[in-house]
Amino acid sequence: MWTGIKNLFSGKSSRDVAKGRLHLVLAHDRSGLEGGRLQEMRAEIAAVIAKYVPIDAEAVEIQIETRSRSTQLTVSSSIQPRNV
Amino acid sequence: MGRAIVITSGKGGVGKTTTTANLGTALAQLGHSVVLVDADIGLRNLDVVMGLENRIVYHVVDAIRGKCSIQKALIKDRRMDNLWLLPASQTDDKDAVTPDDMRSLIFELKATHDFVLIDCPAGIEQGFKNAIAGADEAVVVATPEVSSIRDADRVVGLLAAADVPARLIVNRISANLVRRGDMLSQSDVIEILALEMLGAIPLDDQVIATTNKGVPAVLEGKSVAAKEFIRIAKRLAGHEVEPEAVGFFTRLGRALGLSATPA
Ligand SMILES: Nc1ncnc2c1ncn2[C@@H]1O[C@H](COP(=O)(O)OP(=O)(O)O)[C@@H](O)[C@H]1O
Ligand SMILES: [Mg+2]
Repeated sequence: MWTGIKNLFSGKSSRDVAKGRLHLVLAHDRSGLEGGRLQEMRAEIAAVIAKYVPIDAEAVEIQIETRSRSTQLTVSSSIQPRNV
Repeated sequence: MGRAIVITSGKGGVGKTTTTANLGTALAQLGHSVVLVDADIGLRNLDVVMGLENRIVYHVVDAIRGKCSIQKALIKDRRMDNLWLLPASQTDDKDAVTPDDMRSLIFELKATHDFVLIDCPAGIEQGFKNAIAGADEAVVVATPEVSSIRDADRVVGLLAAADVPARLIVNRISANLVRRGDMLSQSDVIEILALEMLGAIPLDDQVIATTNKGVPAVLEGKSVAAKEFIRIAKRLAGHEVEPEAVGFFTRLGRALGLSATPA
């Protein structure tokens, strides 16, 4: 209860922050992919998508996450509406 | 034929040696014959944690090199039946033994003891490879912190690659900190590492106090950490372990006169 109220004002608890960081760190460790390399990959993928559909290349998101020993790579991008 | 269990963690200072000493003592108290092997060659500690440092004559490297028989290198713990220590060498380094040496040493010890507990050095290099070589199973010790869990995950991967099944002990949990939202809980750690859990040891001043005296906490009996070590030892040995909640309700039932067993 108190924790709930505290988090409402101060953002996440340090416990939640630790959990989030661990999910990320372990995903990188297990895949052998450093955070910086992941961003390079993001830029390349964004460029490929932009060849086919209009997108905001900066808004392409890449995520690597691990849940219970399996690791998931997700790329998401919203497509800009065509101005007809 | 006994079981060889390596106590490992990747990171140093998380409680491997403490866990080895206490689980070994608890298993011996349960009537099993136990030998503790200090595989931290060059940085031996298990002898002082057990309070047996003044009785060392031979060590693990002597036994491997045939300078003495294995049985001769074992130090008998006189505080109870069934417990022995095979100390590490303090003057050699980790390259003094090979995984093959360790494999045959542990194999021989399993012939004469129910449990061979191997205290693994920190790291994932030669010392780690030596320590896991003869092990049938592993206990991974982690504290509820990002760095420890990260290292534990590395070790879990290496153990899986070596076909050594692993279970988890979370050490130094503080219920207060978890409640305040400032520490990962045991279920957080299980979720992240996806390992079977053997138990969680609380952060307990008594562990530090008894270790100062060279007495495993389990021998002094009363602390919360000691009780949890004993529960984990029973679980390791395959005894039925009463979950905490059942104990409480049984006591409550007894207090209310609902128990089937006569008071
Ligand atoms: N549950 C606990 N509560 C309090 N102190 C602990 C606990 N477990 C370990 N310690 C202390 O932490 C330190 C490191 O433990 P140790 O077993 O030597 O770690 P490792 O063998 O992994 O390097 C020691 O001083 C020990 O007494
Ligand atoms: Mg140690």
